Parts: sequence; structure tokens; C-alpha cells
Amino acid sequence: MIGCYDFCGHYEWTFDWLEREGGHPLVRAYWDEAIHRDSQIHARELILRDGFAGMAKYWGHTLTEESPELGFTITPAPEVFRFDMQHCPSKGFLMRNGLDQYRDYCDHCVGWIGPLLRDAGFVVDHEHNHCGQCWWELRKADSPAAPSAPGALSRTDARLLHNWEGPGAHIDRYSRATDPDDKTALPGK
Amino acid sequence: MSDSPLPYTDTKPQGSADFYFAVNATFRFLLRRVGPDGWRRYLADMGRGYFAPVNRQWEQGGLPAIARYWRAFFAAEPGSNVEVVEHSDRVEVHVRECPAIKHLRAGKREIVGAYCQHCYYSGQARAEAAGFTMRLSGGNGSCRHTFASPAAALAPQNLQDIAEARS
Repeated sequence: MIGCYDFCGHYEWTFDWLEREGGHPLVRAYWDEAIHRDSQIHARELILRDGFAGMAKYWGHTLTEESPELGFTITPAPEVFRFDMQHCPSKGFLMRNGLDQYRDYCDHCVGWIGPLLRDAGFVVDHEHNHCGQCWWELRKADSPAAPSAPGALSRTDARLLHNWEGPGAHIDRYSRATDPDDKTALPGK
Repeated sequence: MSDSPLPYTDTKPQGSADFYFAVNATFRFLLRRVGPDGWRRYLADMGRGYFAPVNRQWEQGGLPAIARYWRAFFAAEPGSNVEVVEHSDRVEVHVRECPAIKHLRAGKREIVGAYCQHCYYSGQARAEAAGFTMRLSGGNGSCRHTFASPAAALAPQNLQDIAEARS
């Protein structure tokens, strides 16, 4: 049986299998069709219907269940929904178990959340450092606001962590994005 | 070095059952995009590849290692009701209530009809890599997995013995 306890392990392995089978388009289709429109249909329905309130309800439940030690913070603010992952349970599982089949596991989040946000009329500013830390700011697509400066919205901003740009970290940035390939790799320090 | 029979371990004792939604959705996607043969190949590849550390444990530790693995596996799957029975030539995993089928039903998800076959295709690939055979009977919420040494000379798998999963 394929179980849920080590789900992140075979999920990540699956990305690599799909890429070998059908190239990057098949991986993108998997995130959109299987995860966004099927597995996470409850998230899609909540966010399309309730916008920011739906985001709070969905991520409040999901992150608490996946990360009971609360390695994350949610910061609702006017016109933006922000959350920070200080210890991503999913990437953390892979790192602790030495699992690294696919070239960038973290892309799967924008891979399914991005198309959902596009359909709901939102965009995302996001960075991940490939070490289990990331931040997200979700705004209406017509919002003129720029992403916040580190620490401006949240005292637990992942960018303030001492190891945000520590050994092994390299940062990918998404700016007002909804597409998993719409990212820029920042030059290392 | 972990003492767990599980090759990949987490900091929490059980997984999040909502991930069964993703497993079910993955099967539906693969059946649509790569067809039944491609889906079976995916399961066998995963059995030989991702689960290689388990297969090595089984090859080295024999039937007792297989029994230890399945007890630990189902202890980490929320909602399981399973008994693992050891015989001289086989290990039987009696799944009285499958945690995945149970959660998919509770979540009102459309379950892939061939869902239960995944246990056979991945399980047989894993067993074969370790020098054993695997057979499956039942399904749709309760079933029996048999992992046997070659001496048991199990009859070939009859796919008619695997029930279609229903929502």
C-alpha cells in the first residue's frame, strides 16, 4: 500500500517519474489537474467562494494538521494574506530522509496554488530558500501593492531567520505570479 | 540510525489522512494520461525504486522483517484496523478497515475503481525485488495481503480476486 505517513516522499518521487515519462509539461499538468482540481478541490472551492477568508480557513486547517509543531505563521492583514514557513513539514521530511529525486520540490506549491489563485483573481509574491523556509503574500490581481519589506508585516517573517540565506540556501522568487515557471533564481550571497 | 522498520520517518507518529486524496487523484491522473499500462509501470517502478530500502530490509531479514514493516506501516496510517499474522512460509496482512478507502469515503471523494489494485502492483514489485511473492484478495475497504517465500508456491494472482473500489 502507498500510505500517507511518507506521502511527501513518494509525491516527490512521482514528480521525477512524470518528468522522465512526459517531460515538464506532464509535471505541470499533474500539479494543476491532479492536485489543484482534484485532490485539493476543497481548497479551490473555499478560495473561489470566500477569497481571503477561504485562504485563512484552508491554510489554518491544512498547516496545523501537517505541522502540529507549528513551524509556520499566518498573518492576515488588510488586502493581503501572508504566511511564513519557518520549518516546512513537507520539505523537512525530504531533507531529514535524504530524498531528492526532483530538481525543485518546492515548485509544486506554486504548481497547484498558482492556477487556483489565477482562477480566483489573485497573484502571489513568494520566495523559498530550498531549506524548508518560505514566505507568501497573496493579493488581489488588481492590487497595486508591492511585496512587503522583511519584517514589515510579520515578526516571524522567514526572511528574518538567521539561516534564511545560510549554507545550502538558494532563493527562488515569484513576483505577482500564478505560474510555476514564472520564477527568478536570485544570485547567491 | 533509526530503529524503525520504516525507511523514511517523520517527527509525528501518524500521517495526515488528507494525503489519501492526493494518492487517489494521482491514480486518476495517471490512468487518464498514461493509461492502465503506464499506471501499472509507475507502481512497479515505485516499488523497485522508492521502496528499495524496504526491499533490502526484506531480502536480508526475511518474513520477520516483512511482518515488522507492515505493523509499523499501519501504525503510522491513521484509522487503520489491521492484523499481521506470521506463518512459517508467509506473512498475511489482514486489513479489516483500509484507512485510505475509509478516509476517501468520509471525504465524499470519487474513488478510482482500480484503487485496490495498486496494492498488488506495487506490493508484488517490492516482494519480487526481495525474493518473495505477493498476492492480494478482497478490497473495497477490507482485504488480505499475502507475502510468501517461494516455497509456498502461491498460485498466480487472479485479478478477479481484487474488488473494485466504490465511493
